[in-house]
This record gives sequence, C-alpha cells and structure tokens, in this order.
Amino acid sequence: MSFDKIRDPRKLRHQIGHMECDYVYTAGVAGERFYLALREDGKLLATRCDKCNITYMPPRMYCDKCFAELTNYKEVPLTGIIESYTITYFDMDGEVLPEPLVLAFIKIDQTDGGLIHTVGNIKPESLKIGTKVKALFKDKAKRTGALTDIKCFQPA
Amino acid sequence: MSKNMKELPGTPLSGKELKSEKVITFKWRPNAKYAWSAGIAYGRFLDELKAGRIIGRRCSRCERIIVPPRMFCEHCFVATDEWVYVKDTGTINTFSLSYLDADANRIKDPILVAVIDIDGASPGVGILHLLGNVAPDKIDVGMKVKAVWKPPEEREGSVTDILFWEPLED
Repeated sequence: MSFDKIRDPRKLRHQIGHMECDYVYTAGVAGERFYLALREDGKLLATRCDKCNITYMPPRMYCDKCFAELTNYKEVPLTGIIESYTITYFDMDGEVLPEPLVLAFIKIDQTDGGLIHTVGNIKPESLKIGTKVKALFKDKAKRTGALTDIKCFQPA
Repeated sequence: MSKNMKELPGTPLSGKELKSEKVITFKWRPNAKYAWSAGIAYGRFLDELKAGRIIGRRCSRCERIIVPPRMFCEHCFVATDEWVYVKDTGTINTFSLSYLDADANRIKDPILVAVIDIDGASPGVGILHLLGNVAPDKIDVGMKVKAVWKPPEEREGSVTDILFWEPLED
C-alpha cells in the first residue's frame, strides 16, 4: 500500500516559492497629523466633535456618530489610566520572553479614546486596572513616526 | 468620472510621493513562503523522467494503467496497486496548431500542442505535450510519435525533460 503519511512536502520532489505581497499603508489625513505630532513634538493629538461631545484619540477625520468633518485638532495629556491589561510570557514566534511583557489598553485623559501599548517600569504583580500611567517617549533622533515612538507607558 | 464631478474627493498621493517618504507610511512584507509538493505519484513520475523513463500506476480493479501516475483511481475510488513502466512512444489523440504564444502575441511558426496516448498505458490515457520535427499540415489524429529527450545531463525532473514528440518512423 502506498498511503504513506508524508507531512513534510520537502521530503518529496517539491517547488519552493515566496509570495511577494508587500504593501505600503498610509496613515491618512488625521493619522498623518497624529504621527507627525508624535515624532516631531512628542505630543498626542485628538479631534473633537462638539456636537456629539466626543474626543477622538487617535484623531479621526470624521465623527463616527454625526459624520461631521472634524478639523479641530488639540493636544491632549500624555497621561491615562490602564483600562485593561494582559501579561504575556511568549513572543510572536512562541519563544519564551526573557521578561514578561505587559500589554495594556490605556484610556488617555480628557479623551474618549486610548492606545494599546506596553507598560514598563512596573512589577506585573502590582498592576491594577485604574493605575495612572504616562507615556515615555524615545529620544527624538530615534523616532520614526510610529506608535513605537512611545517607548512604553509607565506609572505616573 | 461623471460630468458633474470635476475632481475626485480625498487626498491624492502619487506613487512618487509614497516612495519619497514625505508622508508617514507603514511597510510590510509578509513572510509568505511555501513548499509545494508534487506528491508521491507525480514525484516518482518526475524522478523517472529525469532518468529517461515514463512511469504509470495500475489499478487492479479497472485494469487501467494511468499516466501520469495517481495513487488513487478516480473511477473505482480505490488505491492504485503497482508501478508500471510505459513506452516513450504514443499516438496523437488530439492536437492544436497555436498561432498565439503564451503572451497572446501572434506568431508565424505555430506551437504544435497534442494530447498523446502513451503506448503501454490504457486507451485515452495520456499527456499534453509538444510536437516537433513535423510539418504542421502533416499532423493527424492517430499519428504514431516518439519522445525526443533532453540530453541526460540537462534533465531536471520536469515534463520539459522531453523536448517534444516527433513522428515515429516505421
């Protein structure tokens, strides 16, 4: 009988390939302003819809609720509170991390939005929902215009 | 664009502007690698082509000899039973003279494509391949042909290890 179980295609005559499906994604009009402020000034920007009383952070170009165009960009504090968190012991490839990594959703003060980011300089056992944290930025020379320009959030 | 619309809404960006990195972009190259296996039957078939032979599989239930080989008989729904070497001669089952190349360019000398029933395999079992060393108007259904192989050192375990099929001289 010939139904040998072969699980590795490379054990038979095979073809190796690599699908090149690169992409370049822009941040959009509001995203562009947000990341520029992050990189150049170390600031967080938000947009506000006065009619609906919502402050969008990260900023949005249009209000989700009333579809009005939002042009009022304002700086918001670099502080927020941990609204939810998880502690991960493995990296994306499933390898054990040298130190556990704390990921949290941080609701930014004076806004209705927030960021998912890492929380550093804190003992995992002392983590609590409601902990006040502040963004710690990288040196300006090392910033690239990405969310990783914030090194982490740390207890304020 | 309709005549009432003078310009498209949005913020246009040219490819040049994207590449100049004047705007903030996120680039990603997914690690989408694959290894595609020819399978047990086709793998052996291709290995045998490299050695200058054509191999098939026999189904003991319907008695067919299947070329290219398959590990499963699609008529009987049972596993095929044994390897059988077949000849590198055959009969033209059907053919086509193509005056278009693979990129749909018009060409003067046609590409001669044929389905060849392999001698030693069951009737109607064969492979799609090319004809050569023959005038297009001489090709006919039922013509006997023989494989013209690449020199052994140039073979790589591919159907192109057979260059084409030429008329079999009596």
